[in-house]
Amino acid sequence: MRGEGKVVSITAPRGARRAEGRPAAAPPRRRRAPSPEETALRQRLSDLEREIAASRTAQEHEGLLVTLARVVHAGARGLSWASLARLQRAIYFAWHSEETDEFGADQRFAETLEPVLDFLYAVWWRVEAAGTEHVPSDGPGLIVANHSGVLPYDGLMVQLAVRHEHPAKRVCRMLALDMFALLPALAPILSKSGSVRANPENAERLLRQGELLGVFPEGVKGVGKFFRERYRLARFGRGGFVRIALRTGSPIIPCAVVGAEEIHPVIGKADWIGRPIGLPYFPVTPTFPWLGPLGIVPLPTKWSIDFGDPIDLEGHGAEDADDPILVNRMSEKVRSTIQRMVDGRLARRRSVWFG
Amino acid sequence: MSRIALTGTASYLGGRVLRRLVDARGADAVVAVDIAAPPTTLHGVRHRMVDLTLPGADQRLVDVFGEERVDAVFHSAFFTTPRRDAAYAHELESIGTLHLAAAAAAAGVRLLVLRSFTAVYGARGQNPNFLTEERRPDATSRLAWVRDKIEAEEHAFSFSRRYPGLGVTVLRFATLMGPGLHTFYTRIFSKRVVPVILGYDPLVQILHPDDALAAVDAALATGPCGVVNVVPRGTMTLLTALHLSDKLTVAVPHVLAYPVAEMWWGSGLGEAPGGFIDYARFLFVADGEKAQRELGFAPRYSSREALMAYLEYRYPETARRAKEQTERERREAKAREAQA
Repeated sequence: MRGEGKVVSITAPRGARRAEGRPAAAPPRRRRAPSPEETALRQRLSDLEREIAASRTAQEHEGLLVTLARVVHAGARGLSWASLARLQRAIYFAWHSEETDEFGADQRFAETLEPVLDFLYAVWWRVEAAGTEHVPSDGPGLIVANHSGVLPYDGLMVQLAVRHEHPAKRVCRMLALDMFALLPALAPILSKSGSVRANPENAERLLRQGELLGVFPEGVKGVGKFFRERYRLARFGRGGFVRIALRTGSPIIPCAVVGAEEIHPVIGKADWIGRPIGLPYFPVTPTFPWLGPLGIVPLPTKWSIDFGDPIDLEGHGAEDADDPILVNRMSEKVRSTIQRMVDGRLARRRSVWFG
Repeated sequence: MSRIALTGTASYLGGRVLRRLVDARGADAVVAVDIAAPPTTLHGVRHRMVDLTLPGADQRLVDVFGEERVDAVFHSAFFTTPRRDAAYAHELESIGTLHLAAAAAAAGVRLLVLRSFTAVYGARGQNPNFLTEERRPDATSRLAWVRDKIEAEEHAFSFSRRYPGLGVTVLRFATLMGPGLHTFYTRIFSKRVVPVILGYDPLVQILHPDDALAAVDAALATGPCGVVNVVPRGTMTLLTALHLSDKLTVAVPHVLAYPVAEMWWGSGLGEAPGGFIDYARFLFVADGEKAQRELGFAPRYSSREALMAYLEYRYPETARRAKEQTERERREAKAREAQA
């Protein structure tokens, strides 16, 4: 009973406490002015309450660093499932945005990746882009380029070239090969940076939405070609990209990437390692896999990316998309145009490293 | 007067469709055809007990459909959560639908609406980002759960081809998540630690049950449309969904995940068989354009809003935090824009 009285004494008015003991006797004087010590106590109580509320909000709103500091400070004592989950969430959302577009492109992720890619673009490979004015400044477009370099660096660089050098700063989405779009770790990176898996449905949908697409019709044959075959364009798939361009009425812009074919000189292929883990090939370069993780550092060659005049489709339209002979001819035309652009650039190039 | 027959009324979706139809058309316009009685809160709803797994179910259904003058059937007796008793699931889903479609054709039912799942397309690396209705479902799936649903759809369509009077609409719903729903994935979402597949973060669609109900309404009102995907607006990545729900995720290499999940399931602890790992690795996002075009169905909720509605119901505290974070992010974005 006494303990209860003590608890009440903080919150309930003093008169009420007295009333509990003798309900029938003299009625409590309710209108009495509060004593100074009571006012002070009440003041203190409300301050404490406010403090608790503030610290609670602070805890909920604390950023990544504060959470980390708390973990470091309190050690294992400060850990709980909830705090670990919050920490993981803070780390995740520090470089991912909550909302992606319907194809999974993530604005904040792209911003996070940007410094790395900019370094590769401007410092490591010193990319020189020319002819970006051939890329349409609005509406659909299909940039077709030669593929090389074992990992899809060339796609990322073409993307950057369009974003940095094109007057309209257009976003170019790359169509990624299955082998990259399905590779653990690389798959989410590609999809969050705006690439989609290369297939006709995706390409047609994006072009109909008026987006700019980049495609490498050489596919696996191009990206994993031997060093001795460099700058010799492989077969352009089965001309699917021409069919889609015809069907959606999109211009085809040829693009020649020079420099990417030397970043990972493939001197051999160990398919007996690649096949069991689901890779179409397993490249062997002078550095990979001999130097371990160092072997995946690409060589700092000098790159140039040239965009050419849109390919003349000779007035063909959607109704010709089902003519395989025509599609094949157009595809060959694009291939030879790009081969010519590559050869022209190679003839002018004096050094692999300095251009 | 003709009636609408509903199966699977003891399930979440079937029960809610029943309630909605009773509210809209009165208790006399519907009949629950199910092995279990509909919820007791629905007074005056006609209930006919039929066990779809029994050999004579088709004859019994013909009688029921005739006596009740059934004109349309909404068939939702399917397991959303995979069962260990795969043989029973097969009897109910595949054979049960065979009985039901045969009876519907024989009794002169005009429209059979089937509940299905976008998961029947299969989560495969080769999927385009948006699966349209023309895409063949993954009939070679290693999941009996998926194969049974595909067989059920095929039974319905084969009867529709043989009896032109019977129209079929198959509604393939995206992953449902909402207040009051308990399935194997909401159970996964209510764990503290959730395993994910290392290096994969597929896009997912989460459908609000209200949207699902609206689609069923539209399908019953419209008439046969074949296969129709019912999907929410927009997509979100799996990790975003898990982190918004404050889950601790543990990344498991996929090579390890399949056998471990299979063992976990086999030992009676897991929520789903190992084949479902595919759905945490690859996307199976469906395109909702046909529903818009033919049913006039436009989803009210986005995937994200559906998830938030679920969280608000299940974890109000988490939902509040997630909302605050979103607001903060919006404010920051606005500030950045103002700077630029």
